[in-house]
Amino acid sequence: MMDAALVESIIRILFAGVIITAAYIISTRNLLSLVSVYALQSATLVGIALCLYTIEGAVVLLGIALVTFASKVLIIPYFIATIQERIRIKRDIEFHYLNPTTSLFLSMALMLVIYMALSSIMPNVSGKPTLFFFGAVVGLSLVLMGMMVTFSRKRAITKVLGYLTMENGVLLFGMFVTELPFIIEFLIVIDLIILVILTAILTVGIDSTLEEYHNRLHRFYLWEGTEDVP
Amino acid sequence: MVPFLLSAALLVLVIGILAPLAAAGRDMRSVRILSLACTALSSLALAAASLIVLLDGDPVTIFLCQPTPAIGIVFSLDRLAAFFTLLIAGISGCVAVYSVEYFDHLSGNGRRNVLCGAMNLFILAMVLVVASATTVSFVFFWELMAASSFFLVMYEYANGETRRAGVFYFIMTQLSTLFVFLGIIALFAGTGSFAISPIILSSSPLILPAFLALFTGFSIKAGIIPFHKWLPYAHPASPSPISALMSGVMLKVAVYGLIRFLLDVFAPEFWWGVLILAAGTVSAVLGIIYALKEHDIKGMLACSSIENVGIIFIGIGLSVILNALNLPALATLSLLGALFHSLNHALFKSLLFLSSGSVVHATHTRDIEHMGGLARRMPYTSALFFIGAAAIAALPPLNGFVSELMIFVAMFSSIPLVDPFVKVLLFVTLALFALTSALSAACFVKAFGSVFLALPRSPESEDATEVSSLMIVGPAILAAGCIILGIFSFQIFSLAGFNLPLPDMFLVGVLLCGTTVLVYGFLYFTTPHAHRVSPTWGCGASAQKPGSEYTGFGFSEPIVTIFSSVYRTKKKNVRHFYDAKECLFSDGIAGIDLIKVFEEYLYIPIAKAACRTSAAIARFQNGCLDTYLLYVFVTVVAIIVFLGWSA
Amino acid sequence: MNGEFVAYCVINALAVLAIAPLYMSLIKKVKAWTQGRQGPSPFQTYANLAKLFRKEVIYSPNSSRVTRVAPSITLAAILVAALFVPLAYVPAPVGGIGNIILFLYLFALARFFMALTGLDAGSPFGGMGSSREMSLAAVIEPVTIIVFAALAFVFASLNIFDMFVISAASAFPVTPTLILLAISLFIILIVETARIPIDNPETHLELTMIHEGMILELSGKNLALMELAAAVKFTVLSALLINLVLPFGLVTTFSVAGVLAALLLFLIKGAVLSGIVGIFESSMAKMRFFRLPSLFVMAFFFSTLTIIIEVFA
Repeated sequence: MMDAALVESIIRILFAGVIITAAYIISTRNLLSLVSVYALQSATLVGIALCLYTIEGAVVLLGIALVTFASKVLIIPYFIATIQERIRIKRDIEFHYLNPTTSLFLSMALMLVIYMALSSIMPNVSGKPTLFFFGAVVGLSLVLMGMMVTFSRKRAITKVLGYLTMENGVLLFGMFVTELPFIIEFLIVIDLIILVILTAILTVGIDSTLEEYHNRLHRFYLWEGTEDVP
Repeated sequence: MVPFLLSAALLVLVIGILAPLAAAGRDMRSVRILSLACTALSSLALAAASLIVLLDGDPVTIFLCQPTPAIGIVFSLDRLAAFFTLLIAGISGCVAVYSVEYFDHLSGNGRRNVLCGAMNLFILAMVLVVASATTVSFVFFWELMAASSFFLVMYEYANGETRRAGVFYFIMTQLSTLFVFLGIIALFAGTGSFAISPIILSSSPLILPAFLALFTGFSIKAGIIPFHKWLPYAHPASPSPISALMSGVMLKVAVYGLIRFLLDVFAPEFWWGVLILAAGTVSAVLGIIYALKEHDIKGMLACSSIENVGIIFIGIGLSVILNALNLPALATLSLLGALFHSLNHALFKSLLFLSSGSVVHATHTRDIEHMGGLARRMPYTSALFFIGAAAIAALPPLNGFVSELMIFVAMFSSIPLVDPFVKVLLFVTLALFALTSALSAACFVKAFGSVFLALPRSPESEDATEVSSLMIVGPAILAAGCIILGIFSFQIFSLAGFNLPLPDMFLVGVLLCGTTVLVYGFLYFTTPHAHRVSPTWGCGASAQKPGSEYTGFGFSEPIVTIFSSVYRTKKKNVRHFYDAKECLFSDGIAGIDLIKVFEEYLYIPIAKAACRTSAAIARFQNGCLDTYLLYVFVTVVAIIVFLGWSA
Repeated sequence: MNGEFVAYCVINALAVLAIAPLYMSLIKKVKAWTQGRQGPSPFQTYANLAKLFRKEVIYSPNSSRVTRVAPSITLAAILVAALFVPLAYVPAPVGGIGNIILFLYLFALARFFMALTGLDAGSPFGGMGSSREMSLAAVIEPVTIIVFAALAFVFASLNIFDMFVISAASAFPVTPTLILLAISLFIILIVETARIPIDNPETHLELTMIHEGMILELSGKNLALMELAAAVKFTVLSALLINLVLPFGLVTTFSVAGVLAALLLFLIKGAVLSGIVGIFESSMAKMRFFRLPSLFVMAFFFSTLTIIIEVFA
């Protein structure tokens, strides 16, 4: 066992890292770096899980770390990087509803709102070590920030990354607050779904916005096929 | 001693009012000089009286008349009132010195005498508002101040723009009086007293409405957003000494009213402070952002007044919050910051208005895009304007920096002591406050650069000459005040009995001057003095033209772009065609206009609603005798019914 | 003001003046290495300055007294600010010297004069430079003040001297908050000293220049003063960063040997930081001007996050 205070301070730095990567995903216009930032975010989560293991000693945390590392640091980024090699779009400069500056300010405000909401909902948690409470706040913020990416960006690939960020938030929230085994299952399911979506995208290509993507699906008769199934 | 000085000063001021009004028919320079001498003399007496009270700390009370036991006209000068009296006296004295020669350049013969008299009346009203010890006399002189300032704004009434500005100002100022009046009535209803004294029954439901009404009234007068619209209209329209008085002093009277009622009457709650702080922060940020966009030099100064009043309100609001959180030492620091900033803003804003008045006199334009190159043509005025600009941009070691520093220190020091949500509030305010202060530096670099540096951009600026001596002496006193109040701030506060955690600006000033002299002297003795004058590279053109310079508009362009969501623009594109198919273009207009957000979304809807309501009411007043008889009949029947059923 | 403090002032100012040009050349050297070039000698900046001081001064016929006095005042303001950040030896503060807000506003004073100099000659480049400089300074200001407020919060003092004493006294000074603050301070260092990606200190291309634009019309010793002021500013801000995060070697009691050793140690730490800045600059391209505010919002987000973690967690 390492010094608990030191580990806690490391976890705090990692929290900051997680939020900064999320902020980067929200605000950047450069598609190429998005994937590596996402991988970095996942790696940070792995780090958090490992640090938490040194405090709590639950083996399931090691499992989480392993699964996350394999799926989100290696496999998913690899898939997306492959896609990016095929398409020629390097920038996503179109924004819906929110421009990057506003969404950054909004996410700061959201963190505060979540903090207030959680401190009134979960008085028992706020009584526990502040680290866990803060983990919950960061996890939820990450979910909401990911959600903001999904609706404020136009390129499909950015939307997928927003979705992945959301899922990272769920993982983080799960690590600090709720029951663990359930979460692992949930997480793997979501990961599988994402992988399916990714392969679908891989076959079609996503050098387009989602609206165009629909058209393309129509053209390849992929959309009707799924709709015909009752 | 103090009562004698006070009454002597007021008497001299009354002479200064009556003498020029008596001679209103003829254009007599001697009467004007007499009147302005009275202003200066009474300023000296008032300043002496208030200094005595400030240093002694004993309040002085004068009874004037007591028509009924409840309503009395009582004046009293405690330290707070003395501070603001000193402010009024200091500024009006310098303005009087400046006005002697400035008024000679105005057109309008005998009206200039009236202007002198009205100006003295205005000053008298402001002094008496500050000295009032009862709400009755407060509101009476408040209204006198409003009315006399209206006449001052309307001086050049022949100009349509001035008339519009004057009417706008009149409506806003009457609204302010209305709210102050409502607040005072609510206070009377709640406490049964007209005295400005602490409320004993703090549980009365009328306390909150009274505070809100008074706050609105004072905010309108002080130019807090969203009640700020009259400032950029009224200040450019009036003669420069009047703008200096209105912006430098009258806004501070409103600040005085707020502080007086908060300190002496109410027991402010926490969220009142948050309200004042929020109003102040919004005004500070938006005020300076609007100022950056102004190209009328006096309009720019007016917008910057909004910003500075915002800073003062930040200080007041912070002090209320800290008091409510039981941190009295920091609350005092913050309130002192607000008070000191009031004095500083009075000094440098009137300095800037007076020196810009000189510039406008020399160049015959208020548009900074037509000025330029005046530093070589008007060396003294440019030096004075520079001191004002440096002070308002909060550069150490001048006074504007010290008062902002006090508010900054209060914020920095209170952050560790308050609970998390107040911390967040303070961080947000802190960030916006810092933004304001940096933007005001940008704004005044732009102002000084466009007006005084580089090449003149119009023939009038080319031929501009330095103004006469009294028009330099007046602002020079103010500039000296800016420097002294800045450098000796630490000593002044110690003298007044406040030991504040501030850096010693005298030391900083000495270090700055010493280092500058060292650097300059070292180079003077060690490096060669060879120098040569050679034209600026004109990008290949044979001679550099003023047109190739960076304009004020260009200077603020990056900031306008960055804050484009604040400046809302409207694109207009109207085209007319000869044929129905829209092929043959006849004429059209295209343009990009700045939306005046508050004017279009707040003022005009309210004005329209008011017009509709009054039109509806006006229908009852149709001038037909039979209708009025019908009203009488209906009223009589109604009274009978009422009496019959209520008995 | 006692003799010890006067001695501190003189030593600190002279040390900053002596070290500052070295770091400028070091950054250039590191950048040259990353580009596969040999690069100038580490003492090149001294030679440049010495040459400029000997040359004649050329004034524009449009320029007023501002051009003649502003360079001296700019350097003086930055030197006074340098007194606020002890390089090696921290005395007891005297008369509020070391106040972090005053420190910030002394830079504002220097910037005010520099921007006016840019406008004075009537050259469009100068105007462009000062307009951009003032706009960027305004937008970065909230970030700076939040970082400084966080510093004041962490060290429970408004005085840089006290902060240094606390950080030098603690055995294990590097806390998570401090690491985050160090990153924020690094961003401020990059912005305030006009380095890539904010401004390119090596071009004279009208589309990119900010700081160089303002001093384009200066020559001779005036130019030397402005360049020296920029170098000193870099050293002062690096000293703030270094002595807060890696304070080892900082002495709080006066002894000649100790101060000399501390100075030497600072020289090395500063050289390492210059190397990092050089590598950082080489790895980036200059950003488009109107993209900078979103970078600053990112920095603002970052510094706010520090505070949120410090306050809430």
